[in-house]
Amino acid sequence: MIKFASLLLIIIGLYGILSTRNVIKILVGINVMEIGINVFIIAMGFVNDGAAPILSVDNPVNVLKFVDPVAQALVLTSIVIGLGITALGLVFARKIHKKYGTYDLSETGGES
Amino acid sequence: MKKIFAGLLAVAFGIVLLIGISLNTGLFGYNDSLPEDGAASHYISKDVNGKTDEVVFGETTGAETGSANMVTSVIANYRSFDTLGEVTVLFLAALGVSLLAGTMDKGRKRSGSGFILRTSARILFPLMLVTGIYIFTHGHLTPGGGFPGGSMIASSFLLLYLADESFRANVKGFKVAEGLAGTLYVAIGIVGLLAAGYFLVNFLPTGTVGNLLSAGIIPVVYVIIGLKVGSEITGIVADMFNEEVKA
Amino acid sequence: MMINPVLLIAIPLGLAFIAVVFKKLQGWILAIGVAANAFLVFFVEKGETAIGGFKLPFAISLVLDDFSFIGVILVNVLTLAAVAVAFRKTEKYVPVILAGLAGLNGMVLTGDMFNLFVFMEITAISAYILSSEGRKPEQSFNYLVIGSIGSVLYLLGLILIYGQTGTLNMSLMAEKSALIGQAAMVLPLVLIFAGIAVEAKLLPMSGWVRGVLGNSNALTGVMFASVYSSAALMVFGRVFSQVLIPGTTAGVIIIVIALLTFAAGQVSAFRSKSLRQVLLYSSIAQSGLAAALFATGFVFPAVLVIINNAAGKMIMFSTAGNLEEKYGTDDYVGLGGAFVRNMPAGVAFTIAALSLTGLPLVFGFYAKLNVLAAYLNQGTFFVPAVVLAGTIIEGAYFIRILIKLWAPGKEGEWADADQSVGEKKIFNPAGTVVVILVTLLIILSGFLPDSVGKLVAPGGGLLGDEGPSISMTMEKGGDQ
Repeated sequence: MIKFASLLLIIIGLYGILSTRNVIKILVGINVMEIGINVFIIAMGFVNDGAAPILSVDNPVNVLKFVDPVAQALVLTSIVIGLGITALGLVFARKIHKKYGTYDLSETGGES
Repeated sequence: MKKIFAGLLAVAFGIVLLIGISLNTGLFGYNDSLPEDGAASHYISKDVNGKTDEVVFGETTGAETGSANMVTSVIANYRSFDTLGEVTVLFLAALGVSLLAGTMDKGRKRSGSGFILRTSARILFPLMLVTGIYIFTHGHLTPGGGFPGGSMIASSFLLLYLADESFRANVKGFKVAEGLAGTLYVAIGIVGLLAAGYFLVNFLPTGTVGNLLSAGIIPVVYVIIGLKVGSEITGIVADMFNEEVKA
Repeated sequence: MMINPVLLIAIPLGLAFIAVVFKKLQGWILAIGVAANAFLVFFVEKGETAIGGFKLPFAISLVLDDFSFIGVILVNVLTLAAVAVAFRKTEKYVPVILAGLAGLNGMVLTGDMFNLFVFMEITAISAYILSSEGRKPEQSFNYLVIGSIGSVLYLLGLILIYGQTGTLNMSLMAEKSALIGQAAMVLPLVLIFAGIAVEAKLLPMSGWVRGVLGNSNALTGVMFASVYSSAALMVFGRVFSQVLIPGTTAGVIIIVIALLTFAAGQVSAFRSKSLRQVLLYSSIAQSGLAAALFATGFVFPAVLVIINNAAGKMIMFSTAGNLEEKYGTDDYVGLGGAFVRNMPAGVAFTIAALSLTGLPLVFGFYAKLNVLAAYLNQGTFFVPAVVLAGTIIEGAYFIRILIKLWAPGKEGEWADADQSVGEKKIFNPAGTVVVILVTLLIILSGFLPDSVGKLVAPGGGLLGDEGPSISMTMEKGGDQ
């Protein structure tokens, strides 16, 4: 079910990117899409009845059933990369605003 | 018109994904176990370099990577090279923000804030800072680690920025901290290369699983990452507030 | 003494971090880093190196075989050339270029699919920052959006394959994914293709190229058209000819898209009036050709196309960027006779154009010959026809540009100095030396193509069993 929901998020994000020319909204769309992917990765790494992959007093032995730690590590990496891209995108957005006085790409004039 | 087109395209893409994924892994339900010989199973049983007995929390000594948190063992040891790249991505983003924001005018003057807001922010600031440091020093034992810890440090500075209009972070100091932390990360890798022949090898003793002083270089790496991420995101925040002193 | 390949990544990365701390020394740090990498690349140990001291295939590894060796040579030497030609312009971007170089080396070398994603992101972010030099923030933003959609799709495709194979290591993934049914692999393959296609400038994802490369200068133009695109195409080749070999359906989709890219690129180049636009569309076309070859499994000719394009575009984009900067126009009609005043640059540009078109006596001829021979040996006639038609269009627009730039006057008259634009130096001395060296390499390798063939494919190795499939005496070098 979570996989289905994450795909829905990806599609919503894609729609957000395609349907608007507003720079900030496009960035929001990208972020929604990235969250969708991250949820999907976590869902792929999930194991029925699996525990969080951390040895502790409650789960002291590593022969127990754990969910996939690799998927979680990949998600961490992808979140950080998403953060970097968003930050850079926001600065580009501010530059666009400074140059054209608008956040709307369709009002920035010329093609190239 | 544009919206309808976008909607159609998104729905078409969604249908392609649905069909493709149901052909691939299926949309509903989860696996009952991890792939037998997959990387994940080996990372969990800590037997990448050879068969080992089961690892018991608080008892086993000298286990591979020695980290109780398996996600951390993947991030900071098995796949540490990815993390180095990830830190570089953030480094480049912070650099790009400061390069581009540095050429813009000073932002609008922020509105003043009240005494209560300022004072409570100053009380919260050290608490958040200490929590952040706690999170990244215990990354190999509990959930968390360098990235969440670093973000907490950055958010404590963000709080000061938001609450106190006269607050200025020392952006240059953060740049130096960021550069030094990155250099240290690469240096740890190269020390491993010289000492044991592998880049980023865990060359320190791994200790008892579950102790604070265990897991070899993992806590060291995580502290470096925490400082680096903290100073990078703070740098981004500060640049966004357009306060960078023009060099 | 042979060195560990990880140093090719660690040295520029470490220097990038140091450069932020010592701002005053940035010029020196860049020069040292780029030169050291271009030197060390010839002393790198071959084989698969594990990182972190764990056993393969569970550790991230770097793979230096014949294939990635060509890739790292191209990346490091061309970056050195780009920096030498436009050293003045690197001032602001020292850490960006160094970290980008580390990312490019990582992309070409890595033996792990997720590590590849991380390095592609490093490269992409450094490219976004460099593209801001074009002073068109909306174009950089456009690039960033396309790039992030591409990376999301790549990640989705990768995680689907990871879910089925349980590994991220390339060689193990190649083994295990071959066992999965073709139908299940179509979607992941297409998604991964979309991810790599952004940097490789292939069709659905190449919308950023016009805005970014059309506003490039001598530094960013060479970096994007020559260095980044070579690395991206080498990655494309690695993934689609060695790791995830496309089945019939996915293969046809990818090849058709690649050929469409080739055709669209050539036609758009022919219709463009601005020098940089012609060049950028020609880059898109060359990428399409190389991608089609890789997806068919013809690795050797594809590598030749990449080398030829990288060397040619290095000369042409640095010339075009400098012409635009010196004369203030990019329209090649307005630049009439610019080469009469700048003999070395003109000769270099001409030879690069001839090589890209594939005329005899230069390296491009050997590359084109191999492309055609590969398809004809296989018994395909449709693709060679497309390639030949593209080559004719290519020849037409390059000759049109060359005539204008050498002879501004009416048809049939030799250039008259009065009709030319004023005299301005296109290159600084260091740039002239670099450009002449690259030109000499193109000519030399045109006379001795077999030695290049041996360099590209000494033992066959991962290039498949092909080896150089054709020599200058038209003998068949190996079996398909």
